Amino acid sequence: MRNVGSLARAGLPVAFGLMVLAMWELAVRVNHIPAYIVPGPLAVAEALWSSAPELIEALGVTLEITIAALLLAAITGAGIAFLLAQSRLVEQTLFPYAVFLQVTPIVTIAPFVIIWIENIFVVMLILAWMAAVFPVISNTLLGLKSADPNLKELFRLYGASRRQTLLRLLAPSALPYFLGGLRISGGLALIGTVVAEMVAGTSGTGSGLASRLLEASYRLELARALACFVLLSAAGFLLYLTLDALSQRLLRHWHESARSAEP
Amino acid sequence: MSVTASTHDEGSTAVVLSGVGKTFANGTEALAPLDLAIAAGSFTAIVGPSGCGKSTLLRVIACLAAPTSGRVERRAAASPQNTGFVFQDATLMPWATAAENVALPLRLAGEAGTDIEPRVAEALKRVGLSGFGSAYPRELSGGMRMRVSIARAIVTAPRLLLMDEPFAALDEFTRFKLNDDLLALWQQNRWTVVFVTHSIREAVFLSERVIVMSPRPGRIVEDLVVELPARRDSALRLGHAFADQCARVSQAVSLAMGEDVPERAAS
Repeated sequence: MRNVGSLARAGLPVAFGLMVLAMWELAVRVNHIPAYIVPGPLAVAEALWSSAPELIEALGVTLEITIAALLLAAITGAGIAFLLAQSRLVEQTLFPYAVFLQVTPIVTIAPFVIIWIENIFVVMLILAWMAAVFPVISNTLLGLKSADPNLKELFRLYGASRRQTLLRLLAPSALPYFLGGLRISGGLALIGTVVAEMVAGTSGTGSGLASRLLEASYRLELARALACFVLLSAAGFLLYLTLDALSQRLLRHWHESARSAEP
Repeated sequence: MSVTASTHDEGSTAVVLSGVGKTFANGTEALAPLDLAIAAGSFTAIVGPSGCGKSTLLRVIACLAAPTSGRVERRAAASPQNTGFVFQDATLMPWATAAENVALPLRLAGEAGTDIEPRVAEALKRVGLSGFGSAYPRELSGGMRMRVSIARAIVTAPRLLLMDEPFAALDEFTRFKLNDDLLALWQQNRWTVVFVTHSIREAVFLSERVIVMSPRPGRIVEDLVVELPARRDSALRLGHAFADQCARVSQAVSLAMGEDVPERAAS
């Protein structure tokens, strides 16, 4: 019974997707819609197959920036959260700026960063980082504040140093929150990279997949553009699954969120 | 507030409170100034209705809260290493194994890793949890978690053990079993124990002395010596003598709450 259930869980979304694709292909063929307006899924698959090496190389460029930005966001976000958690005054002074970072659309900051910084890799890194860092900051900060007050008293009772309290109590308490923030940041880092690529207007060899998507759409090679889109979506999904697996692995022994992973 | 500690005066008094009062920042008077001396090696229970300041009193003794008046003198427990504290909840680190939770006070004191292992194993053995060292808290029952919490409190071989309604969240069977085991441990080790509870039966069964507190502001209204044999076991709960002692304390609590006291049946 349970096996049937899990099979259905995996199979149903796939079946649904295939059905939608089949209807799409059918609609394109029956109505004789030209490929430069709406290409059918088979044409997209064909484009994906024929230029796979080139597109995958471009995807590599995009993912490189995405992952670098995510790592940077993880480290600096956790660091900033620890800093903000040091005192209520520091938090009240600086947190509004973190919110500012979050609510400002990065597209509007991009032109300035492009003018001020020459290295295009650094520009994209900064923009992707700006998109990704806030969930890490706010979640980690929440986690640091959610440490069990009785455990805090216990640490005080046994004369724990600031460092001991940080490493043995605050950091583990904040870990599930930090990982939750990181899962959101993964997707945001990819979005940030894509936006940065599009705004920075990189092109030609060595440019990322989002640039290729724009190029293809300018030339009305919609099948190729959609192939880029499919690859980007797949990469984002994979990134989420990876971060989710990391979270499950780190928390499997103790946190409620990882309970289902128990045998 | 002043806390003094001296290693002299062994065998007499472990804790002396003189004129200790506590008023919270919002103006609530939790404790009216009170005097209390606790003999070294004794088992003292503090009972009273909810909100009578008994937990506050315990936290003041533990130096987790500063009194707003008076002085706290701890003779038997000069350093934090000499004090064990057990909370109402097990208060374990969910990310650490039972053994790592028990090792915490030793690690915070910077003890060497090789010294820690045998002491942790010994503490777990004393609370009846040998073989559960590698279990995570969520894999243990409520009673077992509380045993880990007690092992953590006794791993430093404390002179003073402070317990704040430790078994309140447990079912009665588990509670009786833990009462029996705690009593056996105390009879072996003779720590000074101060045990806060709202269960009169638990207080009478465990302790030599029961202190009854009145509702806010908390004050000591009765200080009773439990007239039961020094060596106790679970059979004691069934006897008349035990019921009589419970009735005595119960009456004192009713008086503390300003209720009409029912006539006591002839014993």
